[in-house]
Amino acid sequence: MDKQWRFYRPYRSPFDPCVPKRVKAYIVPPNQFMPFQPPGLRTFSPHEALRRGTLWPDLYSRYNPPHREEIDP
Amino acid sequence: MTHHPMPKEYYRLLYELQAVDFVLVELTLYLDTHPDDTQALHEFHQYQRRKQGLTQQFEQAFGPLHEFGNSPVGARWTWAESPWPWQV
Repeated sequence: MDKQWRFYRPYRSPFDPCVPKRVKAYIVPPNQFMPFQPPGLRTFSPHEALRRGTLWPDLYSRYNPPHREEIDP
Repeated sequence: MTHHPMPKEYYRLLYELQAVDFVLVELTLYLDTHPDDTQALHEFHQYQRRKQGLTQQFEQAFGPLHEFGNSPVGARWTWAESPWPWQV
């Protein structure tokens, strides 16, 4: 599982007509851990950077949400 | 000068330009906050030269990329011919 994703279980009240999902997921991308980008970071090649959407691998986030059955048994 | 579809070289050059342009955008954003990073500035110069080379190569073969005098026009006024940007 992508380590950028975190999960928590919301409270599910017995009287709740619209019960929330069992497990909710949210992403904490790499830029949250880097207040100021240090110089000299490694970079992608131009075509790779274009495909990935960033020039810096250390700031790359795939952002593909975890699939349903995995987190909502 | 419109044959369908354009030669392979047309798409290859555009794809190269797209990648180089993206790197220039990223380096611009980086240099905005790191103006004295000489290594990044050096890289920017490199990609700028590469972009000028690619643009010249493309424009010699397929006509102007930019308007309003920003691209060589040559003997014929061809910018209005297809493919237009959304038809590429």
